[in-house]
Amino acid sequence: MKQFLAFLLFLSFGLSQSVVTIQDSEIEINENEAVVEVLGMVCSMCAFGIGEGFSKTDFVDKTKFNDGVSVDIDAQFVQVGLLKSSDANAEKIVQVIEEAGYDVNQLFILQNEKLTKFSFDKLGILQPMAFNLSSNTGN
Amino acid sequence: MIRTFFALLFFLSAISAHPVIFKNGKVFWLTQNPSFNDIRFGVSKSSNWLIGGRFLEDRNSNETFALINNNFLAKRWNNRNSQANLYLLSSVGLDTKNSKSMGTIGLHGDWEDRQFMVMQMLEYYSYSSAVVSNTRFAYSPYTADYSKTSTWLIAHYRVEYSNDKYSYMFFPVVRLFKKNYLVEIGFNRDNSFLTFMTHF
Repeated sequence: MKQFLAFLLFLSFGLSQSVVTIQDSEIEINENEAVVEVLGMVCSMCAFGIGEGFSKTDFVDKTKFNDGVSVDIDAQFVQVGLLKSSDANAEKIVQVIEEAGYDVNQLFILQNEKLTKFSFDKLGILQPMAFNLSSNTGN
Repeated sequence: MIRTFFALLFFLSAISAHPVIFKNGKVFWLTQNPSFNDIRFGVSKSSNWLIGGRFLEDRNSNETFALINNNFLAKRWNNRNSQANLYLLSSVGLDTKNSKSMGTIGLHGDWEDRQFMVMQMLEYYSYSSAVVSNTRFAYSPYTADYSKTSTWLIAHYRVEYSNDKYSYMFFPVVRLFKKNYLVEIGFNRDNSFLTFMTHF
């Protein structure tokens, strides 16, 4: 088991770019970025609220995307640039989405050359569910 | 005259792109009609509670009304590509001309995806002792991404029960929105209105 975990950890290092899949859309994710599948985001006003929420945090890199956030309503995901020096984590990202009134189905974070996928377990607790991934695809 | 005013006014109460918005978000809302102005402002204290004020001016009777609105999102169902909501609505206020108090309570349910929307709203109005049902069916002929203008074609049907009588009103409505801006234009044989709303 330890060897297997060490192998996964080994695979998870050395990535500065990867591809994740959300609702059949392949999304390129770069170092210090997060990709979040948002449930219920069906209109531009919904997306605006999520963007406003991220704009008020101290962990978003506003030099990326549009003030740090890119939204795809059709594929229901939000891509967020994360400041390298910040303490951004999955819980903080989920909090922004939930305070906007929406739910997270899954999210991916590529930080420190490590891609991590998070989703909720049966108890509703956010868990890292998988590390990346020999194919360079965080699906 | 006052009856007509309230019929249209209560119809317009049903226009909403989410009666509650994101935490600390603000909504400004202006509706104009040949006979009245309706201005609203609200603040979402959380993602399920919005409190706000509403100021109405009836140009025909020179009456003005001031109300405080309280909108509570009792339940939201967020799904892949769709959303459904159940809201509890209430308001209290005054007719500033005669200081007569007025209040409303209501229930609002909706479901929407990227192309279809249905909405049902039931409200009780103390001012006219009326129960009002507003129903909307909406269709968007195309799906627009965040930066594009979205168009919705809406059929709005209203039934009011008051003084043992039913009255009916139907409005075709066109809704346009882009990012955080919404415009609605409604018209029928007897009435018309223009609404502008923004979240910020």
